[in-house]
Amino acid sequence: MRLSGFLGAGSATSMTSFFSWTFFMVFIPLCVISYTLVPNKLKKYHLLLASYVFYWLVSGELIIYLLLSTVSIRCFGLWLDRMQSKMKSTFSTVPKEKKKETKKRYIKKQRLIILLAVFLHIGGLLFLKYSAFFTFNINKLFEHFNIPVVLAIPRYLLPIGISFFTLQALSYILDVYHGVIKADRNIGRLALFLGFFPQIVEGPICRYSQTAEQLWNAGPVKYENLTFGLQRFLFGMLKKLVIADRLSPIVIEIFDKYNEYSGAIIALGAVSYTIQLYMDFSGSMDAVIGIAQIFGIRMPENFERPFFSRSISEFWKRWHITLGTWLKDYLFYPIVTAGKMKKLTASARKKIGNHFGPLLAGSIALFCVWFCNGLWHGSGWNYIFFGMYHLVLILSGSAITPAVNKINNQLHINADSFLYRLMQMVRTSVLVVIGELFFRANGLRNGFAMFGKMVTGLLPSLPDKQGLINVLIRTGRNSKDLIIVAVTLAAVFAVSVLNEKRISVRDELAKRKILIRWAVFYLLIVYIIIFGAYGAGYKPIDPLYAQF
Amino acid sequence: MSKIVSILEDIKPGIDYENCKELIDGHYLDSLSIISLIAELEDEFDITIPAIEIVPANFNSVEQMAAMVERLQEE
Repeated sequence: MRLSGFLGAGSATSMTSFFSWTFFMVFIPLCVISYTLVPNKLKKYHLLLASYVFYWLVSGELIIYLLLSTVSIRCFGLWLDRMQSKMKSTFSTVPKEKKKETKKRYIKKQRLIILLAVFLHIGGLLFLKYSAFFTFNINKLFEHFNIPVVLAIPRYLLPIGISFFTLQALSYILDVYHGVIKADRNIGRLALFLGFFPQIVEGPICRYSQTAEQLWNAGPVKYENLTFGLQRFLFGMLKKLVIADRLSPIVIEIFDKYNEYSGAIIALGAVSYTIQLYMDFSGSMDAVIGIAQIFGIRMPENFERPFFSRSISEFWKRWHITLGTWLKDYLFYPIVTAGKMKKLTASARKKIGNHFGPLLAGSIALFCVWFCNGLWHGSGWNYIFFGMYHLVLILSGSAITPAVNKINNQLHINADSFLYRLMQMVRTSVLVVIGELFFRANGLRNGFAMFGKMVTGLLPSLPDKQGLINVLIRTGRNSKDLIIVAVTLAAVFAVSVLNEKRISVRDELAKRKILIRWAVFYLLIVYIIIFGAYGAGYKPIDPLYAQF
Repeated sequence: MSKIVSILEDIKPGIDYENCKELIDGHYLDSLSIISLIAELEDEFDITIPAIEIVPANFNSVEQMAAMVERLQEE
């Protein structure tokens, strides 16, 4: 029986993973207890088995895609390795003047291997995830040009986490190609790197060098890792169950029936969705990182308090960090450092200066990055628009920076003052909320309609108390829900402020007496049990990023 | 080292480049600053910086940049 079956939570592609009772009341305790019981030498196999059991429970036979990806990266890695060894041995035998030519020949061969790997992995992802979107738009084009052809829209079951493990798989092959890591012969280690159960649904998107060795050498559960891991897991639960899931019905109501609400309520919907998404995704990441820490595994962080960002560019360095760095390392930098792009940068720098020259060349690479970022999130024009929206904000932000600095200097404005920074943070947050409105809207057309209504109707409709009462009545919520969300948000915000000041709440807590430590621990559990959005009147809500 | 500091000050003034050890991790330099920096370093030191070298470990401080430049010059 699948985990989704236990919970009655939809199809094979729609499951409740980290925040299902079955997962954390049955699967995780069983997994941790059995992990401690098996001998150290076998712990890695235990983690691998647990990962595949988990994937089978949530995805059933679609596990075949994960297995194929694992076998594929092993083959491609070894193929590249063989080619690199051949190059080295040939290198030592050819005369000096022929070395460059030999190197070029072998690089070309390796690039062909990489092309094939990208074609297979990205091609598989495109086929499964975007066939329906592409076919739908081709049909629209046929209709537009009066061509009497209607293609059948294909529907495929999407393996859970395919968008995440495909990027991990590609990063492994590309790192082998670049010589960052050695190709791994051990298929077990590769399988665990790709399929480690806490991270496979929503990331973080790890690099082989970050987690593969750690996972394969996982040792016994230590007291410190267990308590720190559980704390992080519970903090994630607090964000997800108390804030995100409690806001979910309100967000659904406003986005589905925006025609019936004022600009003020649509703005409330956009803000609520932004909070929901952040609490859901960062909460899931806390849970993933916490579970991994129980086994002594350190995962890369995926969020760094993004709403303290002073610009959109900084925001994307703090939000979904592992996707951002993936796109930067494997798309942005390879494009800007390609021969022709370097020539373009050099010529643009000569003609339009040191600031706008690289900006022009960089904008081509950034276009690719943001197009892919938008499309990666989903097969819809609103996702592509979301990517382009952020591209425009980043480019315009960068373009006006010298002028803003000049004005600040002339007016003697201290750009590091608290007020100035606060103003920048608020501006960034408002821009993010607008982007999320389009991201969440049911299609791009609805996104524009909501945006228009919000902009034109916000001030005249403030404060729309009756609209808010209607939302609460229709969703079966009341003012208590809003108070619980507000109080919990304030607590999460306080922790974020401390973290931003480089004060670790967990470290501070660890210094306190055992009584205080356990009191906080139990308080957190009781708070989640009392105020978490579950039980009668609540449906289990899938982690939002699992659908991407 | 001083050449690299002066290049950095040209690209993005107002940062204590001599002492800052987290130019990338601390979000002081963004991707577009890095493009300018790569172009300037390649011109100034007659090197080619491949994409694979663009990692925080090579750009977090002026010392790290100098070490990378020296290594690429030797290659």
